[in-house]
This record gives sequence, C-alpha cells and structure tokens, in this order.
Amino acid sequence: MFFGMPLTGQTVSFFLLALLIIASGVMLMTLTKVMHMAVALAGVFLGVAGIFILLGADFVGMAQILVYAGAITILMVFALMLTQKGDDTESPEASTGRSLLTLLGVVVFTGIMLLVLRGTTWPYSQSAVDPYTQPTVVLIAQSLYHTYTIPFELLSLILTAALVGSVVIARKED
Amino acid sequence: MTGLAWLVPVLPLAAYVLLLIGGRRLAEGAVTSIAVLAVAASFVISLAIMIQVALHGPQPAVTFPWLVLGSATISFGFEVTSLNAMMLVMVSFVSALVLLFSRGYMRGDARFARFYQYLSLFVFAMLGLVITSNLLEFYIFWELVGVCSYLLVGFWYFKPEAAAAAKKAFIVTRIGDVGLFVGMILLYLGFHTMNFDTIFYGQAVSSPYTMAHGAPALLFAAHALTGPGIHALPYGLAPAAFVTLTALLVFVGAVGKSAQFPLHVWLPDAMEGPTPVSALIHAATMVAAGVYLVARMFPLFQASPAASDVVAIVGGFTAILAALIGLTQHDIKRVIAYSTVSQLGYMMLALGVGAYVSGIFHLMTHAFFKALLFLTAGSVIHAVETQDLFEMGGLRKLMPLTNAAFLAGALALSGIPPFAGFWSKDEILSAAFSSGNYVLYAVGLIAAFCTAFYIFRVYFLTFGGEYKGDRHPHEGGLAMTIPLTALAVMATVAGFFNTPWAPWIANFLQDRGAVGYDPAVNWGLMVVSAVVGLAGIGLAYYAYGAPGRAQRMAQKSGFLYTLSFNKFYFDELYDRIVTRPIRAIAEALGFVDRWIIDGLVRLVSGGVYTGGAGLRYGNTGQIQTYGLVTLFGVAVLLIIAAGIGGVL
Amino acid sequence: MALQPFLALGAILFAIGAYGALTKRNLIIVLISLEMMLNAANINLVAFSHFGKTPHVAGQVFALFIIALGAAEVAVGLGILLAFFRMRNSADVKDASAMKW
Repeated sequence: MFFGMPLTGQTVSFFLLALLIIASGVMLMTLTKVMHMAVALAGVFLGVAGIFILLGADFVGMAQILVYAGAITILMVFALMLTQKGDDTESPEASTGRSLLTLLGVVVFTGIMLLVLRGTTWPYSQSAVDPYTQPTVVLIAQSLYHTYTIPFELLSLILTAALVGSVVIARKED
Repeated sequence: MTGLAWLVPVLPLAAYVLLLIGGRRLAEGAVTSIAVLAVAASFVISLAIMIQVALHGPQPAVTFPWLVLGSATISFGFEVTSLNAMMLVMVSFVSALVLLFSRGYMRGDARFARFYQYLSLFVFAMLGLVITSNLLEFYIFWELVGVCSYLLVGFWYFKPEAAAAAKKAFIVTRIGDVGLFVGMILLYLGFHTMNFDTIFYGQAVSSPYTMAHGAPALLFAAHALTGPGIHALPYGLAPAAFVTLTALLVFVGAVGKSAQFPLHVWLPDAMEGPTPVSALIHAATMVAAGVYLVARMFPLFQASPAASDVVAIVGGFTAILAALIGLTQHDIKRVIAYSTVSQLGYMMLALGVGAYVSGIFHLMTHAFFKALLFLTAGSVIHAVETQDLFEMGGLRKLMPLTNAAFLAGALALSGIPPFAGFWSKDEILSAAFSSGNYVLYAVGLIAAFCTAFYIFRVYFLTFGGEYKGDRHPHEGGLAMTIPLTALAVMATVAGFFNTPWAPWIANFLQDRGAVGYDPAVNWGLMVVSAVVGLAGIGLAYYAYGAPGRAQRMAQKSGFLYTLSFNKFYFDELYDRIVTRPIRAIAEALGFVDRWIIDGLVRLVSGGVYTGGAGLRYGNTGQIQTYGLVTLFGVAVLLIIAAGIGGVL
Repeated sequence: MALQPFLALGAILFAIGAYGALTKRNLIIVLISLEMMLNAANINLVAFSHFGKTPHVAGQVFALFIIALGAAEVAVGLGILLAFFRMRNSADVKDASAMKW
C-alpha cells in the first residue's frame, strides 16, 4: 500500500511520472541555463504525455509528444536563443519579496485545491479497467467528425489565422 | 361692413409681416407708406363700422371654436359693439397720425424699419384687444401689448436707462396681469365660458342680439346671482363675494396697464423710449387698454358696488397724486407722463362712480389731446435736442405751429371751454358730484387745478420767455406738422361730440340701456370747473411769467416741494419694501443653490475624480502584478466557496 | 487507481506554472509557464474522461482542442515576442508596460 493505494504497476508508473513532471517543473523554475531549461521543459511535456497514456488516452499522449515535446519545445529553444544578448545567463530575476509573495499565493491556492480534492466524494466508475469500448482513435475520429465537426473546422480556421498573424507580427518592418 | 371688421387689426399685422420680411431693404419713405397706409385703411374701415353701428346697432359676434376641452369649448372671434367700434376709430386714428409723425422724428435712425415694425405690431395688438369677443383672446392681445411696449420703450436699448425702463414697464404691468389672469380663471370657473356676452348677459354668442334695446346692463347682477348661466361657484364663494372678487382681480390688471396707484411707477420711466412711442402708449394703445378693460367688464363692476368704490377711490387718489408729482418735474415728457397717469385716474374715477359714458368720452378726448401734447413735445425735443424744461424757452416765435398745437392741447388738458378736455372732465366731476361722492369731487377739482398749473408751467417754460439753448429750433417737416394739425383740431372740437345738449356719444353707447349718464346741465359745476382751470393757468403765469418767482414759491413750500419733486419717494419705497427683500431672498437662495446644492454635487464629482486620479497610479502596466492580485483574489474566492460548501 | 491523484497532480503542475508566469521576467519563460498550466488542465480533462461517472471520449477531444489552441497561442505569442524584442531590444516583462495610466 502506498498513500492508501494498492501498489500496482499503474500506481508505480503514476508516481514515477508525477515525480518526473514535478521535478522537471521545479527545475524549470530554478535553472538559469537555456539548454538545461529546454531539457526540463521536455521532461514536463513527456511526463504529461505519459500520464495521458496511463489514462488510456494514447492518441492524446502521442499528440502531446508531437506538438509539445517536439515542436513547442524546439520553438521555445529557438526563441530563447534568438533573444539572448551574448551572455548565456537568464535575465535578472524578480525581487525576492515578490517571489515569496507569489509563492505564498500559489501555496495557499494549491493547498485549498488539494483540500477540496480530498474532501469531495467523486462519483466515478471503478468497474471497468478499460472504460472504452473501442480503440480511442476510432472514438476520437467519430467524435471529431460527427459531434464536434463545427468546432473542429473553426479550430482549423484559428490555426490558419494564428499562422498568418504570427508571420505578419513577427515580420521585419520595412 | 361689420363682416370686414376682422380686417381692422389684420391690416397692421400685414404691415408688420411685410416690414419683418422686407423692412431692411426698403427706403424709409416706403416703410412709412406701408405702415401708415395699413393703419389708415384700418381707420377708414373702423369709421365705416362705427357709422353702421350708429345706424343699425351692434352686430352679433363672429366666433369659431378654437379649443375643445371636454365639454367646454373656447372659441375665438370678434364682435362689434358700440364701445369697441368707437375705440377702433380712436385707436386707428391716433395711431395713423403717430406713425406718420414718426417719419420725421425717427429720420435716419439705424433701425428705422424695425421701429415701424414694432409700431405696427403694437397697433395690431391694441386693435385686436379691442375687437375681440372673448376674455382669453383679450388676455393674449393684452400680453402682446405688454410685449410691444417692452420692445418699444427699450427701443434704444443701448441706453441703460431705456433698457431699465423697458424692464420696469414689463415687470410692473405683469404684476397687474397676474390679477387679471386669476380673475379670468375665476370667471371661467363660474360661468364655464370666456365669451363676454355669455358672461354678462347669459346669452349664446352666436345668436343675434335680442338685448339691443333697453336691456339693462344691471341684468348681469341678477343673472350672476340667480340666473341660469352661472354654474357652481368655485371655492364655495357667495355670489356677491364672487362678483366682487373677480371684479377686483380684473381691476388689478387694469391698474397695472393703466398705471394707476400703486402700480403707476412704470409709466413716467417709460419716457425713455422714443417720443412717438410715448404718444402711442399714452394716447391710444397701452394705457387705454386698462380703461377699456374696466369699461368692457362694466357690467361686472356694476354688479359689485364695493369693487366700483375701489375703482373710484383708486382713480381719484391716482389723479391727485400724479398731478401733485407733475407740478415739479423738470423733464417735459415726465410732466406729460404724470398728467397721463392723472387723467387715467379721472377715467377710473368716472367708471367707478358709474359714469360709463363720461369715462369713455374722457378716454377719447384724452387720446386726442395727449397724443397732441406728446407729439408737440416730440417736435420740441426734436428741435432743441433736450428734454429739460429749463433749457428751453422762447419757442413761441421760433415754432409757431407747434406753439399753437401745444396751446390747444394744454387748454384741452386744463379743461378750459370750449376745448375737448373741458367737456369730458366736467362730466366726470359732475358725475362724481351727483353720485354723492363729494370727497372724490373735491379731489378731482384740486387735481384739475394742479393739472392746469403744471401744463401751463410747461407751456411758459418751453414757449415763453427767451430761448436759452444754442441751437436753431425750427418746425419739422410735413410728416410732423400734418399730425399736429389734425390732432390740434380734434383736441379743440372733440368735446362737442358729447355736450349736455347733444349727447351723441351717450346715445351711441346706449345700445344696452342707459349706462351711467346724467344729461342734466349743471351750470354751477361747469363754471366751477372752468374757473378752477383758469386759476391754475393764472398761477402758472404768475409763477413763471417773471424769473425767480417760482424758486421763491418752491422754497416757501419747503418739504412739500421735495416730496413732489422726488415723486413721493414711491420708487425708493418699492425698492425698500419689495425689491430689496426679494433680492435678499434671491441671494440667499442663490447662496444655497450655489454653495450647498451645487457644493454637494461638486463634492461627489470631486471625490470620484480624486479617487480615480489616485487609483490611476495603481495601474502600473506590470502584467505580473495584475496576475498576482488576481491570484490572491481567486484564492480568497476559493476559500469563501470552500467555506460555504463545507469542505474546509 | 483513482481520480484524485491525477487531479492533485494537475493542481500542482498548475501551481508551478502559475508561479513561473507571475515571477519570471523573461517573456519566453512566462510563455512556457502558461503552456504548463494548459497541460495541467489537459491532465484534468483526460482524467475525467477516464474516471468520470460515465467515461466518455469527449474529454480527450477537448484535450486535443486545447493542444491545438496552445500551439496557435505559442505561434502568436512568439511572433509578438519577436516584434517586441526587435522594437525594445529586450525580452523583459517589465519593459512591456506601455499600457499604464
């Protein structure tokens, strides 16, 4: 038994992934070198992808790896490098007072959230280990192209607009 | 011809509109022609109407419904009675001459066309007031007359005195108008109609007259007290009290308009206007309206002896008061103005003692000789360019025609036979005497003596002696001399329209029964009147015939002279007891409004403004600060929500 | 396994992201922190999709939508950042305070 949960492979892998995510996140907040931060970022995103897969959402997990761990991480690294001014160090940190204040706020917030999580009875089905009748890819495809067709199309519109918009904004002005 | 009666007021209105549109582009001669021809045409029509009335009696009113308020209908219209037929003739005659005279007097004024425009409107308003058959319509024209007098008295508005005089004239007459308005509403509440005929005779306006012959005017009394026309009296008034109250309220309006005590103060100040305006106001239009109002409402006053007594006493007191003030004034126009106030007092006195015919008769003769006096004064002022009596003199040789015209007017005013004023004034005094009001008779007689004295004081100072100025006075052009001549003739002969032997006007006015006229010849009273007038003239000659004598007389009379010279301090008195307290109250209220009410509003707005300006600096532009605050806000909300939800 | 551990993990990840977004002065790190917060939300969605009273794939679809939106947001955000950097020669949050007062 581990934190009141049976010590199964699922549980173990969850805690390992959670450890990875939290550790990477904290490192991200404390490290200063760009490449170290990039590695920590990749760690967070990959951990989250692992959680998705653990939850049976293999397609979402793969998308997470492709989009976040792949594309966005690389993009961020590029942006960091582009905006660096010679030196390799991070720009000056916020004042300690502000950091402590923010920490206090965040801790209070998280503490309440955790308390609420613990104090609430969540109605959920524990019967089926795998709740999905079909492979999730098929289910997602049906859902996307039947139920959520219009949001899906709108999303493609937003992506196009964002693409064009970012090009326009970032373009060098003559 | 009476079907065309509506043309009488409409023609001057047309002239007004024409001048309003095209006045600036027209030459002075053209402007004069338009206005004078319009009013002259009105005069011709009026004359025809009067002849017709004399031959066939009054005509029924022509009305049309104007305002339908539930069951009540207010109709507008016009009618021709003997009274207003005569008024129409008189007003249009005098107005036409004054308009003609203005051609010479106002020559070269920058706003010449505007002047004629206002005059035309003034004449229109007065003619409309005379011809209307309805109290509400009457009131509208009444106010229009007031507005025109304001415009004309303040015509030279760049002079501060003229602007102040215009305001004074308007405000003081408005005080009286409030009384008239309240009286009008009371009458409407009592009779549910505004038509004169329905009020007085309980008769539908549209039906032809059946009362034309021998119906007593006192019918109104019976009608008002018991008749079928009267409705439930407002405020539970007894019939007699109702009649007295309405009559007094109506009389308040007349007091304001006709410059009777205690609202007489505006008329002398109105002398700041151009002299033709003074002539018009004093003779034909403005002040005549008040007397006309009392005459038009005469059945109402007959029904209330108390109200009649008030009218007579106010009239008599005004007559003597104004005459006493007139004794000492230095301004030629002011003297004549006080004589107008005094003469109007006579008319009120006549109407008050029931001498209806005499009052109207005096109104008519007064219109002629007072217009004449003002126009001659205008001619004199035009020639010597001053209004101070003591800077004139010797004009008898320099301006013979004006001299003769003024003399005719002065003799008429003094009541010397056979001039017009003698007959009408004597009739009034006789009526006062024969009605048993001996005190009023004596007061009238003293006022007559003063009148003769002050007008001949003016005459001797202006025309007698040697000229004291350095200008070269001469007669005005034809436009000035023709009206003077015409009016001088009328001032001389108008008295014969109603002598005890040939009471034409009395007969003319008697279409509704013998109203207050005693045709008996009283030789004794006649002789007394004439002697008193001659005595006044003699005293004036004695005082002003030799230099220095008048000063000695003034010194002997001591404080009486000061009192008269300062107009019995009425202006100062009103300033103390009315103007200043009201001004103090207004200033106190203004203080409250400005500092307390406005202050509260400003405090709120200032607080909001200061708060906003202070909070502005919290807006640092640092997005992370905003985010931090938001985070704490969300945390607090979460705590509250969790507390309510019972999780914590 | 139960629902709460996943929700707790999401909350913690969200808190880390919020802390980074509110304290870091480099705009890119702020952007990264925002992405972490989005990921925390995704964890919740997928967890409810799996452990909800009636498990349904809609939660996963929503997560996909959020991933796509996050990608778009990063694209626009980095575009703005580059323009800002070119204009001010700085990637500091404190310098982006033109819209005050």
